Order: sequence, then structure tokens, then C-alpha cells
Amino acid sequence: MRWRVLTLFLSLAVAAAGQELERSPFHGDETSIGVGKASFRLRCSACHGIHAEGGKGPPLNRGEFAAGNRDVDIYRVIARGVPGTEMPAYGTRNTEENIWRIVAFLRTFEAVADEPVDGDAERGEAVFWGGGGCGGCHKVGRRGGSYGPDLTRIGRSRSVQHLREALLDPGKDLPAGYFVVKVVTRDGRTISGIGSGIDDFSAQLRDASGKLHSFLREEVESIEREFTSVMPSGYGESLSDQQQRDLLAYMQALRGEESR
Amino acid sequence: MNRQVRLAYILLACAAAALGQVDPEALANSQQDDESWLMYGRNYSAWRYSPLDEIDTENVGRIAPAWIFQTGESGKFQTTPLVRDGVMYVTGPSNHAWALDLKTGRELWHYSEPVPDDLALCCGKPNRGFAILGNRLFKVNMQATLVALDATTGDVVWEVESADYRKGYSNTVAPLVVNGLVVVGIAGAEFGTRDFIDAYDAETGERRWRFWTVPGPGEPGNETWGGDSWKRGGASTWITGSYDPELNLIYWGTGNPGPDLDGAPRPGDNLYSDSMLALDADTGELRWHFQFTPHDVHDWDSVADPVLIDVEIDGQPRKALVHANRNGHFYALDRTSGEFLFARAYTEVNWADGMTSAGRPILIPGHEPTDEGTLTCPGMGGGHNWHATSYSPQTGLYYFNSGDGCQIYHGATQDFVEGEFYLGSAMENVTGEPREGSILAVDPGTGDRRWRFALVSPPTSGMLSTGGGLLFAGTAEGYFVALDAAEGKPLWRLQTGGPVRAPAITYRFEGRQYVATAAGSAIIAFALPR
Repeated sequence: MRWRVLTLFLSLAVAAAGQELERSPFHGDETSIGVGKASFRLRCSACHGIHAEGGKGPPLNRGEFAAGNRDVDIYRVIARGVPGTEMPAYGTRNTEENIWRIVAFLRTFEAVADEPVDGDAERGEAVFWGGGGCGGCHKVGRRGGSYGPDLTRIGRSRSVQHLREALLDPGKDLPAGYFVVKVVTRDGRTISGIGSGIDDFSAQLRDASGKLHSFLREEVESIEREFTSVMPSGYGESLSDQQQRDLLAYMQALRGEESR
Repeated sequence: MNRQVRLAYILLACAAAALGQVDPEALANSQQDDESWLMYGRNYSAWRYSPLDEIDTENVGRIAPAWIFQTGESGKFQTTPLVRDGVMYVTGPSNHAWALDLKTGRELWHYSEPVPDDLALCCGKPNRGFAILGNRLFKVNMQATLVALDATTGDVVWEVESADYRKGYSNTVAPLVVNGLVVVGIAGAEFGTRDFIDAYDAETGERRWRFWTVPGPGEPGNETWGGDSWKRGGASTWITGSYDPELNLIYWGTGNPGPDLDGAPRPGDNLYSDSMLALDADTGELRWHFQFTPHDVHDWDSVADPVLIDVEIDGQPRKALVHANRNGHFYALDRTSGEFLFARAYTEVNWADGMTSAGRPILIPGHEPTDEGTLTCPGMGGGHNWHATSYSPQTGLYYFNSGDGCQIYHGATQDFVEGEFYLGSAMENVTGEPREGSILAVDPGTGDRRWRFALVSPPTSGMLSTGGGLLFAGTAEGYFVALDAAEGKPLWRLQTGGPVRAPAITYRFEGRQYVATAAGSAIIAFALPR
């Protein structure tokens, strides 16, 4: 163990001198991997899954990482976050050693190729903006609606599996901050839409036409929050298998470029 | 109290009285002092109740900010401000503190101390407040030090290290001054520390006693830890206790055993984790203990306020200690002996089927965290976590908040590495079932719920009750709220623009009642219009 401590000390000293580490100083160290796993579960699992299988965040158990496969690439992503995605910077919340231990844990997974998508992105793009009607609610670049989540970079932050689930069963795992607010007014009208905010005294929502509403609880009959999706759930039937694969291929290719 | 301590105590009292400072008698009589707020729980019994009644249920709708102090610092503001002689003393996150002019809210001085970059923390950099004695203020710093400041200038008088932060220790607790001693807890259980309660001489900073909350070899309770697991046993003490001057006992709650979710490395009950301790105030010797959750594997710290109430229970007058535990139960203990009186679930509980006559939970099998996860209620944060509670002798009700809902607990084995997380895994939320919250009023003699005010989010703020029949609290979404203390009906609110994570205080200044709270990064003082 002592040599590992010495290795760490020397490695961090080199890093402090301005030369970044390429590899985690805890690589292969079982104890550190255990600590890294605990830290991962505390800080990362809410998005990346308790077993790193992915969720709102991409899977990290495949030995492949979008930002690069060197340890230092993974370190940078954890420490600095990924601008434009939900991935925050953890460098101010974790010590350097702790992040390197998380890296050591993530490098224990065997390389597994991402699920292949037997689809055509260009045809998928046509489905997205055409018959699929996706662009009516989702924005890619500057094009599209804003009722649903912005998909400009969705290919960077979601696995194919998660995208398929979101297409076929949109209510299964809602994006962070998405919920539906349903308001019944005192004259019996029901107004619902994507919640912008809800608290103990009020709620704000955006209906399907894009109109903003604000209600005080004391002025209406009821305000309810529902963790359901307003996205139609019939794409499994309305789109052919090939169209679904094409659409997935298109979304997988959405990595932050301007709308194609 | 030995002769030397008593003599020092008397001399300090005489000197403080002569200088118009906060003397021990003032602390003992703080409940009657309408113009001050002198300690974390307002009085030694931790009631957080003020008899002030200028602001009441009829006129509270007209209160408005008298001043707002923007601290300019980010982070969690969880402080209980102190007030005396026209000055408010406020601690902030990341080792900041301020003295504010009560008349205007303007800054009189600002104290700050850098937080080390390599300080390992589980839960942000909050601080929960000052203690005061004489003309000195006492606060902890994140790096596990205790500092005494001159109340007039904010200058450091002395600073002592309670523990080495490089080993995982840190500190956030508001100290408690008792008999000339500054009593503080410590944090670090998430990093496998062995924790304690300390008492320091207010004059010199010299440590006078330490009670290890995890007993060492040869001490009673050490046998409740398998092998050498006691060395990493945790049992942090990060919320201020209470004090009974008549019994000369300090009451202080302890946190989870380490590792949090993996019980395998620490077979046994793991005393004195998740316990209420009664310590001799002069020596730190243990007089009694009561463990709420033996061999905890759900991180159910038992640090919440120990509130001292004389109340009738089952037809008998009792010197009670009441406590809303993170494990989902409200407890009443006899504070003279630690005898279990009763416990009542106040939120959804699926891990225990009541208690034995001695207060030991009757476990429902299947709630040990596993790699795949087990669904257990309440979630890791409780139930009632740490947020300050209030007892109103006017309504006879005890007020506390609750996080409601379940979580999935995942367990895993891990080796201990000094200064690193030692959790034994973590929990996750249940998909589609967001955790919500409550503000609750219960009868402390029975545990019966009198009313519930529902919150859309788990609670963040503490409680203040007043002689005006009001209960003040805040919400995660930034509302500062006044409820009718008897019925729970909201009477007034203000959207402050930032989460309310602190309990409110109240005081009278120049003949006018104020209610003050931290909200977002600001301190706001409210009053009726002149």
C-alpha cells in the first residue's frame, strides 16, 4: 500500500507542477475502487444509474466514454462538467483524489460496444420534421417547438436504449424538471400544461399553445402536479420499426451542431 | 460543579454583569428576555418560543420587511442569528459571519476565514450559528475549529482545533454555552471518523472535557461494535443540544454509525450512534443514553433538537425530553433517567412495527440495503431531519417538519480510506414518486397529530412560535410563511426569492417586534408598519 501512496503523492506533485495526469493514480487499486464506487453512487447514480447503467445520463459501464477514453478525459468531465448538458462540474464539491477514485471505479467496466442502431439518420430527420411530428414540440438548434425538451445535444447525453424508451414509453423516466400541472378553476375549467413552477401557494404552467398561466391556490378549485408525460405514447404503433430505427439514428447523431 | 469551576463561573458572572454583557444568568433567563435572542434554541430547553405578541394572528398580514441585508455569499444559510443590545450576529456558509445594526440592517463588521481546498464534505458548507458569553461570540469553522470573536469588533480572541479535518472531520454546529464552557459537536461520520462532544473553557479555549460518542476499548458500549469497527464508528454530533440547569445535564443527539448503509463491518447495536445522550455538564460523564435506531443501516441520524418539556403523559406529570427522529417516529423520554415513555410514527414507516416496552424498534424483515436496492420509508433524510423545532407553551403543541416518502437503499461493501467517503453505498429516489413534506403540530404528551400543512417539497427551514399565536417557517421554494399555530392555516407569506433554509427568530427593538430569517443569501427583518 505504501508504494501506492508514494505513487499518488508523486503523481499529484507532477499534476501540481502543471503536467496533467494521464491515468488515475488509483487505477486497479481495489480499496480505492470501492471508495470510488461509493462516491459514484452518492454523486452520480441519480443520472447515470446505481450500476452505471445509464438513465438520464449516458451509461458509464461500457468502457467507452463520449468525451474520450483516457482517464484524464473522464476526470475532466467530472471536474468541469459538460457545458450545454445537465452534467455539472464536481470539481468544487469533490477533492482531486476523490474524483480520481471515481475514475478508477469507472475503468473497471469491460469495453462493451454501444447498441448498434440499424437506421438511417437522414431518413430519421425526415420523420422527425415530417410525419413523426417531433419538431412541433422539440427544438433542434434554432428550429422546432419548445413544449418538450430541447434535443439539440440529446445524442451526447442519452443512450440509444434510453432514447428508445423515451420514444415508446415517454412517461417512464421524465427529464429533470418536467412535470404536468393540472388546474381546475372555480368555474369548472381544467387547464393543464408543462409546469414551470409549483409551490405551496401557486403554480405556473405553459399550455400546448405556448401560453403561460399563473395561478394562486386560493383562487382556484385545485392544483395538482402529475409526473406524467404530455408526449403522445403511440409512436410504437404510428411509426414503423424502420422509422423508429431511423429516428433513433437521427437523435443519436444530434450532438450540438446546428439543425441539419 | 467543582469548586474551581464554580469560582470561575461566579467571577465571570460578576464581570459580565458589571460590563453589561451576556452573563450566565442572562443565558439561564433567556426565555424572559424579549429584546434578545441569546442561544441557538432561544432557551436552554430549546423551545424556540417567544412570548412577544405585538405581531399576532389578526395583524400578521400587514408585516413587511424593515430591512434586508444581502450577504453577497452563496451557499446554504442555515443560521440562527443571535441578538443583543441593538446588534444581530449572523453566521453564514464557508466560514463567514457578520454583525448587523438592528436599526438599519447595515454591516458593523465581517469575519471570514478561508475553507481549505482539500476539506472533504458531504453536504455543503453551512453554519448554524453563534453562541455568546460575556462580550465573546463562539462559532465553529468548517475545518473543525472553534473560534472566539470579540463581539464588538469581530476580532479573533482564540481559535482551537477540535480535530484534524484531513481525517474527514468538519463542523457546522452552533455551540452551546453552559457553566462557562462552550460545548460543541462535530461532523464526519460519512468519512469514517470517530466522533465526540467537546467542552472548551470560554475564557481560554482550553478543552475541559470530551465525550467520545463511540466508546473505546474497555469502555461500556465498546462491545456493541464488532472487531475494531468502533474506530470508524461515526456518531456525529452536528446539531446543538439542550440543557437542564436543575439536573445539570446536557442533552445531545448523535448521528449514524459508519459506514452508513453497510452494517456488515460493524455487527452489534453500535452505541452510541443514533442516540440521545445525557451528559454531566461539568465533566462530560454519561448519565444515561437512549438509542433510537440500533445498528442503523439507513443513515437515520438522531441529532434533531432534544426539547425539554414538563408535560403530563399517561396521567403522570413528567420531566420529558421530546424528539422527532429521522426514522419516522416522535419520541418522549423521561429526561431525568432516559426512560422510554412512548413513540408514535408521524410519517409513513414500513421498516418497524411499533416498539418494545423499552423503545426498541420491532423490525420488519427485508429492509437491509442490498446491491439491487430495498424500498424503505422514510427516506434517508427522514422523516424529520435536523431542522429546528418549536414548542409553544401557549398552544401546548410541538412543531416540526417532515420529509415524506420512501427511497431505495443500495448497499455495498467498501474498504476504509482515511478522509474519503465511507458510506457503504447510497440511496435513490423512486421513479415517479417525488418526496414531499409537511409541517406538523403534535401533542407532546401523546404524539397525536393536531394539524398538518402540506409542502410540495421536502422541508428546508426550522420553526419559530410566538405569543401572538403564530408559527413562522419557510419553504424550499422561497416562501416565508406565518401559520396560525393553533390550526395550521396560512395567514401571511412573502416570496423571498431564495430558499429558506434557516429557522426564524424574533425580538423587540426600540419597542417594536421584529421577526428575522435568512432567505437565499440575505437576512430579512420583518415588522408591522410604523
